[in-house]
Amino acid sequence: MNKKEVFKLAKGFRGRAKNCIRIARERVEKALQYSYRDRRNKKRDMRSLWIQRINAGTRDHGVNYGNFMHGLMKENIQLNRKVLSELSMHEPYSFKALVDISRSAFPGNKAVVPPKKEGLAILV
Amino acid sequence: MAALSLCSSLTPKFSHSQQNPTPISSKFNLSSSSFLSHSLSSLTLNSRKPPHTLSFVPKSNGTDTEVALAEPENPEAQPVIETVEPKREEVFAVVMVGGRQYIVFPGRFIYTQRLKGADVNDKITLNKVLLVGTKTSTYIGKPIVPNAAVHAIVEEQTLDKKVIVFKYKKKKNYRRNIGHRQPITRIRITSITGYQDSPFVTL
Repeated sequence: MNKKEVFKLAKGFRGRAKNCIRIARERVEKALQYSYRDRRNKKRDMRSLWIQRINAGTRDHGVNYGNFMHGLMKENIQLNRKVLSELSMHEPYSFKALVDISRSAFPGNKAVVPPKKEGLAILV
Repeated sequence: MAALSLCSSLTPKFSHSQQNPTPISSKFNLSSSSFLSHSLSSLTLNSRKPPHTLSFVPKSNGTDTEVALAEPENPEAQPVIETVEPKREEVFAVVMVGGRQYIVFPGRFIYTQRLKGADVNDKITLNKVLLVGTKTSTYIGKPIVPNAAVHAIVEEQTLDKKVIVFKYKKKKNYRRNIGHRQPITRIRITSITGYQDSPFVTL
């Protein structure tokens, strides 16, 4: 890469790394290595986030993530975790329908006790 | 999470009446009228709101944040333009294209992997529909909803934004700088059909 391209990629870097070519070239190479690695990490991180969101959504209905997914697999519902997390956020009634289907396909959750609210949360 | 529960508890109240004795909802009224800062007749617009809120609120398929956004926008548009949009049915589907699943609404577009052999302005039918949701019911497919189809038009066949693939091994004098643009297709969803006869869950 010539200097012009290096400086274009070095926008927003701290200190001399955005102005001086020797330092900028090192930092830009490091940044590109990180972006190569993180394009692969992003897929892992997003899946982890979706699973956390689905877990939160199902636990509101008394089912945990593991049993929920087991029930869906048994019923041969092939929605992926990305879509399930979006449904749990924006389409709560459809998501509740899915949770009910999963619960009937694979029972095995104890009745959920809503967490005790303390302080100002009691007013909500 | 508390804010979300506030919204969900408030939306049913809006459907009944604008004036509510409870302090929380009156605060909400004030904040929504503050959005309409430029309209003097904000009160009259609020009184005209019920016909519109009813069309939005019963779609209580979540979208709480969308309701909060729609309310201030609606009265703003009323005095300015009276154009009537063609009534789009409020339905969504989960469709599988190119190995990936998308939540799809009629009238919006999505980017998918390049569909080979499709030219611009071609009509396309996507058959692998995994879930269809309407205002009142959800059709869950095991794995697909039978006879459901999503119709779309190919808008554009382009390349994605360039990513730089830079491979580097330290102290071994190995550097490779490669640019990559993935071929993608933009398709505009026109309608979702064929799901009426399938088993559904009423909400």
